[in-house]
Amino acid sequence: MARKLHLHSVLRCDALVIGAGGAGLRTAVEIIARKPDAKIIAVTKVSSPQKSHTTTAQGGFAAVNPEDPIDKPIYHMFDTWKGSDCSSDQNVTKKIIESAWEQTLWLDNHGLHFTRNEEGRFSKRTFGGHTLEFGEGPSAFRAVFEADRTGKGIMDTVWGESLKGNVSFVNQSIVTELIFKDERCRGAIIFEESRGEFTAVLAKATVISTGGLGQVYKITTNCRQNTGDGLAVVLREGLPVMDLEAVQFHPTGIVGPGILASEALRGEGGFLLNKDMERFMERYAPKMKDLAPRDMVSRSIETEIREGRGVINPNFNLPHIWLDIRHLSDYVHDVKLPEITGFFKKFAGIDPKKDLCPVRPTVHYQMGGIPTNEFGEVQKSADNIVLGLYAVGESASASFQGFNRLGTNSLVELFTMGKFVGERIAEYLQDTDDLGDIPKNAGEKSFALFSKYFEAKGSENLWKIRETMRELMTEKVGVFRNEKLLNEAINQLVDFKEMAIHIKLSRSSLIMNQELVDRWELDNLLDVAMVIAHGAKNRKESRGAHTREDYPERKTEFNYHTLAYMQEYGKVTLGKRPIDMSIFEEKSNNYKRFDFFARKY
Amino acid sequence: MDKLYSLTLKIHRYDPEQKKSWVQEYNIEVGGMLRFTDVLRKINQEQDPGLAWTSSCEHAQCGSCGIIVNGRPLLLCELLVQNAITQFETTTLTLKPLSIAPVLRDLIVDLQQAYKRVHKAKPYIIKPADPPIEGDEHRISPHTMESYVEATRCINCFCCAEACISSHRHFLGPNAMMANIVRLFDPRETSKKGRFDILYADDGIARCHTSEACSFVCPKEIDVAHFIALGKEARFR
Repeated sequence: MARKLHLHSVLRCDALVIGAGGAGLRTAVEIIARKPDAKIIAVTKVSSPQKSHTTTAQGGFAAVNPEDPIDKPIYHMFDTWKGSDCSSDQNVTKKIIESAWEQTLWLDNHGLHFTRNEEGRFSKRTFGGHTLEFGEGPSAFRAVFEADRTGKGIMDTVWGESLKGNVSFVNQSIVTELIFKDERCRGAIIFEESRGEFTAVLAKATVISTGGLGQVYKITTNCRQNTGDGLAVVLREGLPVMDLEAVQFHPTGIVGPGILASEALRGEGGFLLNKDMERFMERYAPKMKDLAPRDMVSRSIETEIREGRGVINPNFNLPHIWLDIRHLSDYVHDVKLPEITGFFKKFAGIDPKKDLCPVRPTVHYQMGGIPTNEFGEVQKSADNIVLGLYAVGESASASFQGFNRLGTNSLVELFTMGKFVGERIAEYLQDTDDLGDIPKNAGEKSFALFSKYFEAKGSENLWKIRETMRELMTEKVGVFRNEKLLNEAINQLVDFKEMAIHIKLSRSSLIMNQELVDRWELDNLLDVAMVIAHGAKNRKESRGAHTREDYPERKTEFNYHTLAYMQEYGKVTLGKRPIDMSIFEEKSNNYKRFDFFARKY
Repeated sequence: MDKLYSLTLKIHRYDPEQKKSWVQEYNIEVGGMLRFTDVLRKINQEQDPGLAWTSSCEHAQCGSCGIIVNGRPLLLCELLVQNAITQFETTTLTLKPLSIAPVLRDLIVDLQQAYKRVHKAKPYIIKPADPPIEGDEHRISPHTMESYVEATRCINCFCCAEACISSHRHFLGPNAMMANIVRLFDPRETSKKGRFDILYADDGIARCHTSEACSFVCPKEIDVAHFIALGKEARFR
C-alpha cells in the first residue's frame, strides 16, 4: 500500500540527547548545571529512561582517590593501557582517570547508595586487570560499588537529576536521521512509536548516546533495544564508525539467555573450573589467573570447550564451564551480590551457595563506536569534526577502551565523558547562531526508508533472517576469527540484506507497530554486522578482543584505530586514526610503561 | 533439550486505530526453561509478528515487562515456563496488560503516564547535605543503610501498584511512596519537610489500606509494606 509519510511537528531545543541512558543523561545534567535555562530534549527507545541498559551494570566504578596512600591514578592508566592491548588513546585515558574520583563524589552527593565499610566510607573491590605498581604488585581494590547493581544506582541518580533539571523526555521513540545545515548538525528526525508520527527536533547541539550492538550476536548480556541504532544512523549519513571489530565477550554469561554474572563474583573470590574440576586459568594467566582481562578469560574458556573440557548444559544443549562461588560467605552472597545470586536461582534454577554455576562467554560490550575526540565531538575523519554533533557512552569511541575493556571502565567512561561532553556543549551553545528554518529535505531519507518497508512484497521472514544472522555472527565473527569464516560471513550478510527487501509487514499501521521497528532494527543490525566483519577481515593480526587464528600475533603495522565508512551495503571503505601516545611522549616519570609491549598476566 | 510443554495462551489484544479489544488464543510448544519473553518472541517469529509486547533487559533489572498472568501481576521475563505451570497449576494462561496506565497496543501500556506518579514523589535528593570534608565522601554507617537500602532495589515495574487495593486513582502508589520514604531515611537529604509534604499529601500514605499486596507481588521480593508501615509510623531511624 502506498502511503505518504510526513513530518507531524517541529520541536526546537538547545540540546537533543539521543539515548537517555547513563551517558546521555550525565551529559544533559552537566549542560543544565552550567546553563540552567538550556532546553534539553532527551529521546529514549525504552518506555522510561530508568529502563535503560545502564541499569543492568553490576560490578562497580574504578576510581582512585588522588590522596590514596597505596593506589595511584597512574596505575589505573597503565592497567587500562595494558588491558586495551596498547590501543587506548592516552590523552583520553589520562583525562578520564584523573576525573574519576571526583565523579564518584558527585554521585555520592547526588544520592547514589554506595556500599559502605564499617567506617562509613566507600567499600572497594577488585576487578580483572586492575593492579598496583604497574602490574608488579597485587590486585588493586579500586572499584566503588552499590552491591551488584552499580549501574542501576548510576541510572537512578542521573535520571533523578534530569527530572530535577526539567529535561523533557520523549519515550519509546527512535531516531531515524540526522539534520544537517551549513555543514553543522542541527538535530534529528525522530519517530514516536506510540503516536506513529515523525517529528523534526531542531537542536543547536545533538548528542548520540544510543548504547551498544549486542543484539548482533545470538547470546548477549545486552538488552533487547541494543541493536546498534546510533551507529547505523551515522553510517547512513556517510560518517565513519571506529574499531567495530573490537567486540567484548564477557567470560561469564549465565548459560541459556546469557545474562551477565559480574566479574565481581571473581573479584570477591570466585574461580572458574573445567569439566575435570581444574582451575584452568592458572595455565593461561599464571599470575592474575581468574582475574586476567576479559578477552583472555573468554578465549581460555572457549579453548577449554573446544578441547573437550567443557560441560554440556542439558536444558539449552550449550557447552559451558563452571564458576564456583560456593565458598564465599553468606554476607557476600546475600548483601554484596544479592541480584546475581537471584539471577542464578530464577533463570538457571540453581543455588550458587550450594551448586556450581554454569557460565560461558556472552557478547557484552563494543569497545569501538562513533569516533570522537576527547571532548566527545564526532569526527568525520581522523582530523576533522562535525560541528554540533557529539557522541558519548558505549555508542562512542574516544578511545578509552582500545581493543579490550577492563571491568568497571565502562561506567567510568560513560560518566566522566558525559561530564566532559556536557561541558563542551555548554561552551558551544554560548556562540551558536539561532537554528533558523528547517531544511527542506529534512525527513526525506526516513520517509523513503519506511515507505520501502511498507511497500515491500514477498515471503521472507523477518525473524528468521534476524536469528540466522545472529547465529552467523556468533559462529563466524565470534571469539576466534579467520579469513575463510569472515569471507563467508560477508557474503552471507549480503544475501540477508537482499532477502530483507522481500519482507512483507503484516500490518500497515504506524501506531505502536512493533514489527515496523523490528524491521528497522534488522537493517541496523545487518549494517553494523557488515562493518564488524569487514573491520575484522582487514585487521590481519590479533589485538585485544579481536582474535585471528590465522594471524595470532599483534602487529606494529596495525597500531591504529580502524575508521569504517559504508556508502552502499557491503562496500566498506576503511581509513585509519592514530593511537594517541601522549603519556609516552610527555616523557615524564614512568613514561616507558606506556610504550607498546606484549601483555602478560 | 529439555522436555517440551504445550501451552495455550489467551492474550488480551487492543488495536488503537479500530479501538477494538479482543482475546486471541495461541497454542505453542516450548521448553521449560524459557522465559515468557522468549515465548512471546517465539510467537512473533512463528505465528504472529504483529503481537505487541514490551521488554528491555529481560532479567528482572529494568521493570519494563510488568504484566498480569492468570490474575497475578508479575514480570514477563522472570516467569519461566515450568515455573508458570507449577505456580498456576495449568498450561492455559491468560495474559493481560497492567491496568495502571492506558493500553497503547495489545500488552503495551503507556508507562510514561504511570511514571508521572513516581515523578511526583521526587526520586532524587531535594536538598543535599554538604559532605563532611570537601573532596571526600559522606560518612554513612552500613547499619544505617541497612534500614533502607533494600527499598532502593525497586525497579518501578508497577506490579505493586497494580496489586494495591487502594486504587491508583487516589494513591500515588506503593513504589512512588517507597521512593519518597528512602530519602526520609537518607542522611544526605536535608529537605525532610519536602518529604513529609509528599508523604502526608491527599494522594499520600493515608490512602494505604495495609493489605500488604505490594509485598506479596513484588518481583524483587522487597517488603514494600514494611517501608510503607514505617512511613505511617514516621519511624525513620
